Amino acid sequence: MTGPDALRSSPVVLRGRFEQGRGRAVQRHSVPRRLDWLLLVAVAVLTVVGLLLVWSATRPQELTAGGDPRAFLKKDLINLAVGLVLGCAVAAVDYRILRAYAPFVYLVSLLALMAVLVVGTTINGAHSWILLPAGFQLQPSEFAKVALIVSLAVILGAKHDDQRSGVRVTPGDRDVLAALALAVVPMGLIMLQPDFGTVMVFVFVILGMLAVSGAPSRWVVGLIICGVLFGGAILQFHMLKPYQEARLTEFVKSNRNTTSTGYNVDQAMTAIANGGFTGRGLFHGQQTQGQFVPEQQTDFVFSVAGEELGYVGAGGIILLLGVVMWRALSIAADAGEPFGTLIATGVVCWFAFQSFVNIGMTLGIMPVTGLPLPFVSYGGSAMFANMMGVGLLQNVRLRSRTDPHAL
Amino acid sequence: MTSPPRAPGRGGPRPSAGHPPRGTGHAPARFAASEGAADRHVRYVDRRGAGRPPTRPGRSPRPARLGSPRRRLRVAALGLLAFLLVIAGRLTQLQGLQAASYAHAAELQRRQTTTLPAVRGSVTDRAGAVLATDVDASAVYADPFAIADKARTADLLAPLLRVPAAQLVPKMTGSGRFVYLVRGLDPAVGAKINALVVKDALPGIGVLPERRRLYPSGTLASNILGFTHFGDLDQIVGGGGIESMYDTLLRGVDGTRTLEADSAGHAIPSAQQKEKDAVPGSDVRLTLDRDIQWSAQTAITQAVKQTAADTGTVVVMEPGTGNILAMADAPGFDPNNVAAANPDDMSNLATSTPYEPGSVNKIITMAAAINRGLVTPSTPVTVPPVLRVGSRTFHDAEVHGTEHLTVAGVLAESSNIGTVEIAQKLGSPALARALHAFGLGSLTGVHFPGESSGVLPAESTWNQAQATTIPFGQGMSATALQMASVYATIANGGVRVTPRLVAATIAPDGTVDPTPPSAGTRVVTAATATTVSRMLEQVTSAGGTAPLASISGYRVAGKTGTANRVDPTCGCYRGYVASFVGFAPADHPKVVVEVVLDNPKQGHFGGDIAAPVFSKIMSFALASEGAAPSGSRSPRMVLNLDTGR
Repeated sequence: MTGPDALRSSPVVLRGRFEQGRGRAVQRHSVPRRLDWLLLVAVAVLTVVGLLLVWSATRPQELTAGGDPRAFLKKDLINLAVGLVLGCAVAAVDYRILRAYAPFVYLVSLLALMAVLVVGTTINGAHSWILLPAGFQLQPSEFAKVALIVSLAVILGAKHDDQRSGVRVTPGDRDVLAALALAVVPMGLIMLQPDFGTVMVFVFVILGMLAVSGAPSRWVVGLIICGVLFGGAILQFHMLKPYQEARLTEFVKSNRNTTSTGYNVDQAMTAIANGGFTGRGLFHGQQTQGQFVPEQQTDFVFSVAGEELGYVGAGGIILLLGVVMWRALSIAADAGEPFGTLIATGVVCWFAFQSFVNIGMTLGIMPVTGLPLPFVSYGGSAMFANMMGVGLLQNVRLRSRTDPHAL
Repeated sequence: MTSPPRAPGRGGPRPSAGHPPRGTGHAPARFAASEGAADRHVRYVDRRGAGRPPTRPGRSPRPARLGSPRRRLRVAALGLLAFLLVIAGRLTQLQGLQAASYAHAAELQRRQTTTLPAVRGSVTDRAGAVLATDVDASAVYADPFAIADKARTADLLAPLLRVPAAQLVPKMTGSGRFVYLVRGLDPAVGAKINALVVKDALPGIGVLPERRRLYPSGTLASNILGFTHFGDLDQIVGGGGIESMYDTLLRGVDGTRTLEADSAGHAIPSAQQKEKDAVPGSDVRLTLDRDIQWSAQTAITQAVKQTAADTGTVVVMEPGTGNILAMADAPGFDPNNVAAANPDDMSNLATSTPYEPGSVNKIITMAAAINRGLVTPSTPVTVPPVLRVGSRTFHDAEVHGTEHLTVAGVLAESSNIGTVEIAQKLGSPALARALHAFGLGSLTGVHFPGESSGVLPAESTWNQAQATTIPFGQGMSATALQMASVYATIANGGVRVTPRLVAATIAPDGTVDPTPPSAGTRVVTAATATTVSRMLEQVTSAGGTAPLASISGYRVAGKTGTANRVDPTCGCYRGYVASFVGFAPADHPKVVVEVVLDNPKQGHFGGDIAAPVFSKIMSFALASEGAAPSGSRSPRMVLNLDTGR
């Protein structure tokens, strides 16, 4: 326990400062040095690749329509700029202060979700967008992800009174119930849009955060069982709209081309297979440039990567997403206190679920849900929310009590 | 590991300065676990619990099923890794192992073969004047599904398409994704609409380039040219007449362009293209003369109107070559607008519709009798007022007492009774052979689509009535072209040549492939032909039935026909078919003209209503052909022994 190694690698000065009180030691290291640079690099590469893929995916349609072939690229760059500002803002404020703002953030997200039901616009069957001037759109459910993660972290990460031991840090039954109650409202509103994919993101985030919060296993296991039963019931009694059900069940069928959903997936898989090992080259994927894959700049952007960047590029995206998840998990593990851990966990669950479902559906092994691929897919709100998610991760990292350079 | 919890301040150096304990042994069951104080992530817990003794020191507690965040994070990490591996594995499978089959499917999907339509050959008259040709055109189509505002779209298009909006809207309301609104538009109009389409002002409307058949002279010779329609794959297909007869030749061979196209069918610019050029169709040069055709068509149209006839037909032929210089119908149709045409007006009556020729048929009886030496033009024939054959009685057109005519007189005055008497001398078998030799009862060999051979019953089946009527052209039928050919044979010195409508086909490389003229078969001797021709000249003389057919300066030979008309609605004789057929100059025949008026109501004698039309057309044709006026007058023959004229 008290080996000389520790002495060598942990200067006395630091220890001395560290002992002076919590938070002081953080200042010992400048912000850039404490940032998780690997995470930033991975996100940056994914974002740049995303910009290129979106450009390539939208160029032919704009050319055909006689529009500006860089229209989407420009909008994407604007989105990125706004996203960076939002991300930096989120990272700058000490996340522990967010605790105080959590109720406000939560309520604003609820209001936005209600607003979309009133003034929203329907795109691809989901009433999820509020149209803004200049061709921009706002998708409140993306921001609701951030709000939910912060709110759940507040409840599940709070110090809890315990009659027996006085204070404990793992949530009890009452906290879990409170958290679930908190989550059900936005989920219900999103279900009304309906945006089944985002609801599933919420479910996965809740499960992950509950599990990591140290909540009793019976809740975690129970919720999983409930989810499975609920899902089974939904399919059994056909409670979804036919197209939603088709999307969910399509991927297990062998003959996909009978429906439009199956067509999407078939075209996506064809494009990916057409890429081969090194790809056809950016702007040179025949299937992509021929616009055979519907929604190739948003939900099916991975097919563009697969065709134009090939196995190397598509595998690289998976690898980079893996890096993001690994870094986020590390930040969660090293946060040093439950609130930070839970925030980071929530963000991991969010990014991971969307990544797996999105890539999975593009590869034909997951049901088709309208979930974007984090950092890569086109979409302003998603870009903002993702950057805020990264901001949260860096925020937790910056204020983590662990010296990141010791890692 | 059994030491009591320590406050962080005095905990001593941490292991490896904050390395998280990766080993499982250090993982406490819960945050509040008192042992494992070195486990840094529980430090904040320790701090809070500092000074408080652990509930059960010295033992690793397994309290109520509270999860360990740390362990669960690790499980999550493993889970995520597993997912990553699954996805990477699937990617490997798709891009590595199944790539070939998918790539092939992708290529097939992209490859699009479009037809490059061959330019359809032109149809020209004998001098090369274009009667039918191919031009660039535009088609405007709609995708009813994509049209947002049908009424607005229709209002925008209506003035450009020159179609009322009320007619456009129903077309845009179908359930399909493609419907032609208007085809064969002028390319300039197509370009105007395309400009709107490009500006996105007309969602769901598109313009396609296409080719269109143009008949620059409108109704001129439409009965011969036929018409076209859009067949399979939007190919222009001949629908009648020459267009149908020479369809394959005119059509050429379509080319193909294979290219890689996007999902909307637009070519992918960077992809390769393969092209096989179309081979244009051959041109067809007819024997028609546009001017004579025009003259014939105008004259017959006017005559049909004046006589209130059902239809009128004209055939103009060159006797020596069999070349058809004109073949006109009234009423006609405009092949540029087939949709508006009455289907009854679209056939070529001269070949498709046989009629009972009546008196014009007498020439065959005469020629056969003269050829056999049974009679000469001056042979006397006693013509009683009525002729009884079996139970039937036959009259002439005009009531008369017993007349003493010559054979020439029988023909000039068109006596049925006299003709029957000559036919009786000839006998039915010889008459039947002559009828066949002149080409009646069989196709002319012009191979025009829908040609009729007329009805000529076999001689063995003739009853007494038929044997009596066929000599003067009732009880059998022939087409106008067949009849014109009979007179052309006389004009040609007794040699029948096959009528010829197509002079040549001209391949796209310019190679001319002429239709060989027919060798000709002798039907009667030259002497007989000359004799008959002289007899026919008597018809147009003052004492004949058709002085109105005469043309000043030219000797005209011809014969009137005023036949009882078979009314197809009752199968009985009702009304008349008035005709005149002849040739000029009689001394050196250059042109044969036949005029037939079916069911005229204003007059019905061929000599009265058909002969003037003949004269008009023949005058024009002779001038057009540059026929020199006859230097002599028609020789006079004694026609009526009673009067001595």
